[in-house]
Amino acid sequence: MRFGANAALVVIGLCFVLPLAWLLLASVDPHAGYETRWPQSASLANFAAVLTPGLLFQPLANSFILSAGTAIVNLVVAVLAAYPLSRCQSRFNKPFLYAILFGTSLPVTAIMVPVYGLFVQLQLLDSMPATIFFMATTTLPMAIWMTKNFMDSVPLELEEAAWMDGASGLATLRRVVMPLMRQGLGVVFIFVFIQAWGNFFVPFILLLSTSKQPAAVSVFSFFGQHGAIAYGELAAFSILYSVPVLVLYTVVARGSGSAFALSGAMKG
Amino acid sequence: MAVPDISQRGPLGPGPRLRGALRRGLRWLPVLPSVLLLALFMAAPVAWSFYASFTDAALTGKAALNPQWVGLDNYARMLTDPVFPLSAWLTVVFVAVSAILGQNAVGLVIALLMTRSGGATASLVGTAVVAAWVLPEIVAAFAAYAYFSQDGTLNQLLGTFGVQGANWLYAFPMPAIILANVWRGTAFSMLVYRAALSDVPRDISEAALMDGARGWQRLAFITLPVIRGSIATNLMLTTLQTLAVFTLIWVMTAGGPSNASTTLPVLAYQEAFKLGDIGYGTAIASVLILIGMFFGAVYVRLIRGAKP
Amino acid sequence: MRRPVRTGAALLGVVGLLASAACSAQPQAVNGQTIKIVYQKTDSFTALDKVFQDAKQEFEAAHAGVTVDLEPIQANDDDYGTKLALAQRSPDTAPDVFYEDTFKVRSDVDAGYLLKLDSRLSAWDEWSKFNEAAKAAGRGDDGGIYAVPLGTDTRAIWYNKTVLQKAGIPVPWHPKTWDDILSAARKMKAADPSVIPFSMYAGKGTGEGTVMQSFYELLYGTGSSLYSESDKKWVVGSKGFTDSLQFLKTLYDEKLSVTPADALDSNVWKKVFGQWLPQGKMGATVEGSYAPSFWQKGGSYEWAGYAQDMGVAMFPTQFGQDPHGVSMSGGWTLALGAKTKSPDLAFTFLTTAVNKKNALAFDENNSQIAVRADVASDPGYQGANPFVKDVSDLVAVTHYRPATADYPKISLAVQQATEAVITGKQSPAEAAAEYDASVKKLVGEAKVMQK
Repeated sequence: MRFGANAALVVIGLCFVLPLAWLLLASVDPHAGYETRWPQSASLANFAAVLTPGLLFQPLANSFILSAGTAIVNLVVAVLAAYPLSRCQSRFNKPFLYAILFGTSLPVTAIMVPVYGLFVQLQLLDSMPATIFFMATTTLPMAIWMTKNFMDSVPLELEEAAWMDGASGLATLRRVVMPLMRQGLGVVFIFVFIQAWGNFFVPFILLLSTSKQPAAVSVFSFFGQHGAIAYGELAAFSILYSVPVLVLYTVVARGSGSAFALSGAMKG
Repeated sequence: MAVPDISQRGPLGPGPRLRGALRRGLRWLPVLPSVLLLALFMAAPVAWSFYASFTDAALTGKAALNPQWVGLDNYARMLTDPVFPLSAWLTVVFVAVSAILGQNAVGLVIALLMTRSGGATASLVGTAVVAAWVLPEIVAAFAAYAYFSQDGTLNQLLGTFGVQGANWLYAFPMPAIILANVWRGTAFSMLVYRAALSDVPRDISEAALMDGARGWQRLAFITLPVIRGSIATNLMLTTLQTLAVFTLIWVMTAGGPSNASTTLPVLAYQEAFKLGDIGYGTAIASVLILIGMFFGAVYVRLIRGAKP
Repeated sequence: MRRPVRTGAALLGVVGLLASAACSAQPQAVNGQTIKIVYQKTDSFTALDKVFQDAKQEFEAAHAGVTVDLEPIQANDDDYGTKLALAQRSPDTAPDVFYEDTFKVRSDVDAGYLLKLDSRLSAWDEWSKFNEAAKAAGRGDDGGIYAVPLGTDTRAIWYNKTVLQKAGIPVPWHPKTWDDILSAARKMKAADPSVIPFSMYAGKGTGEGTVMQSFYELLYGTGSSLYSESDKKWVVGSKGFTDSLQFLKTLYDEKLSVTPADALDSNVWKKVFGQWLPQGKMGATVEGSYAPSFWQKGGSYEWAGYAQDMGVAMFPTQFGQDPHGVSMSGGWTLALGAKTKSPDLAFTFLTTAVNKKNALAFDENNSQIAVRADVASDPGYQGANPFVKDVSDLVAVTHYRPATADYPKISLAVQQATEAVITGKQSPAEAAAEYDASVKKLVGEAKVMQK
């Protein structure tokens, strides 16, 4: 019984790993094609070829600015919104939460055409800050949800003590509540960061100059331009671009004690 | 990308009677930035989408300068456009097979298998499944493209069994993007079901075991009913996520060959940006938004219904 | 009453954030001292980038305090068009000077993106050096000139002599009819089943290349056309259209062309230039006069033997009827953004970029057909590659795409028809019928004629 389950799992796991095998092998194969094969002469030439400022560092820096910016905006706005939602009971509470929930359901790709139109109207095209605010809004409903759930688990007694001392609501939030939910906020930050890091469609439409485009978009043009030749470099680039989020995910999974803390956080 | 559970309410603040109405109003002030952002970047585009879908707005040509109100023309065009019904159908197939059947069922199976397998195996396999999900969208799409391409891994594998592979992306574009989406998205369902199954009280299933219930009976009559709330929410969320998939399809097939894998998001992009027909593109986008809203409303109802 | 104040402050804060976002979108553009140039650059198309780099140096030296901001877009022709259109919509992202495909000029004029140049051109002494046909490429519906051509091109059959000789076909090869092409291709296939005998593009993957380097050579050789200039109407229901689709179907069905899967790959042309022709794996294809730019020294697919191994032939008419051959001409232009804040500087930059020295460099490096008389007579241009004379002579039988604002949409409908045929989704007759229906839908019954 247990053996059967293990065997079945291993087969499924292999199926999931297979498409990634090509990525790993091709990246160290200077003569890579689309077939998965053991490189005849493994080398880091592909990595060396993509480790240039224009190709890798600038797009990665842009990805970092976009993702970190998105995560910070999310965190600030979500903490502010979650505080009253978690601490006050009001008749606006539930409708607002349901509206937020409803917002999580909106297919973001469907609003890209109108968002592009909106950006033209407001003259925000090709603006990194505006793109950050938009990307933050797309993940905001989820961030508010998660933050509220984390905040709910912070005991109320400490806050009451602070109020007794005459601290204002926001001061209590900053000095008492937030330190207690540091770990939860870390999860929200990383969760949003990972989403923004992988986002292709939004910057593809909203950011036009090459100097502002994140790695997701530059790897796409790289593929379009060199696709017929440079498979190995494409794989190397993809790996370098993926490493940061893989590391971040591991941090969340480890740091919270279980590999699936993320799911717990989501569930509330 | 998550399974919020509205039934768990936060601890209540100090009784409302203790504070004046003004003070209470002030306490809601921090919600304002989120409301503004959501209004500007979510509600406004949705409203603009519906508005623009009644015009002939375009990227180039005379209509770019002076968009005209064309009433329901764009919607009427959908009915005569041979691509739109095809595209709507492909979207249904894509969502039904890859999200509802694929991700959901595979995720549940993996989670169930994990409850009865060794910890090391479970965490290793879990990592493999999650890796595809954590990877940036475009990297996952490239990997899937390579996997299904003519000289790709899949055909190599089939070759070792003596089976002549096909050019999957060309000959079977829908199965290819469906499998790719299952590969990429199953982790989410797996995480949800793992969490849900860990909440199923042991004694329930053990009691059933004492009664001599077989494995599948326990699953059908005990485990599944207990986690039905999670199943429902997971179904909704995977449906909505799959409805919005663009990058995966765009990189793998770009909607081809001959529109054989053009789902609605791809069609909206092509019409609006490739052909410059913003009016028709937003009309298609509006249909997508309406579908999303419908599922969103069902989803909210489900969660409210599940509340004790 | 603290609440309204706090609300106001919070509102201001958010609005401030957004406003700062808006401001930062326009780096130093307003002071009139920066002009933004948008153009295409790819790993196989760097000739224009070089021209602009040189022009920037020249221009900045002559205009102290002015910065030329070069913004190359790395994309294929199709995506470049999309990105440029996206940028043009908004005044703060619209470029001052940009690289514009001739077939987009009219629709972009209609959209109000292009600045009318007539008064400036009449004061520019070098304008008279441009030939009249090329000048027409920049004309809008109102008769005004909106764009200055960089160069033009023609299309011909490029064939690998060794592949033909192996199949017993004498070179130089001059097919007289479509059947000559088919029989030669079949001979090549019989001599070596692994070669791709005669490839013609089809499908949406190669975009405008599909029609320019394939379908139109066929269509215009049947006596039919896409658009009747005299009636100002689009032609539907022509036998020539179905015959052309049938010819493509024959090529693909008999595997005389690349596989349909390859044809739909937007990078297929890179394999044509970079692998198949140089390695003798392809007999012939229809490509632009710019083909040598890929193979010559400094090109993306350097191939020292191209001058000996390759031959060029005129694409024949269907049955060899007059004028015996067909070619298509396109080409790219430079235009000024209608919303440019410094039109004078932008125009001066444009004239720098197309002056004799830069135009000569561009035409040589990119194997373009010169549009300036002084460049055309330059010995350096004439000797740039062994095929300059052959491809220039094709101007006599060349056609231009219909210069109307509707054209880009019609072109896509044609590409769609070729894709449906080569993938076996529709028969030539069905695809032609669907094309007719979409044309009627796109331009309206009143602008369509049966021929």
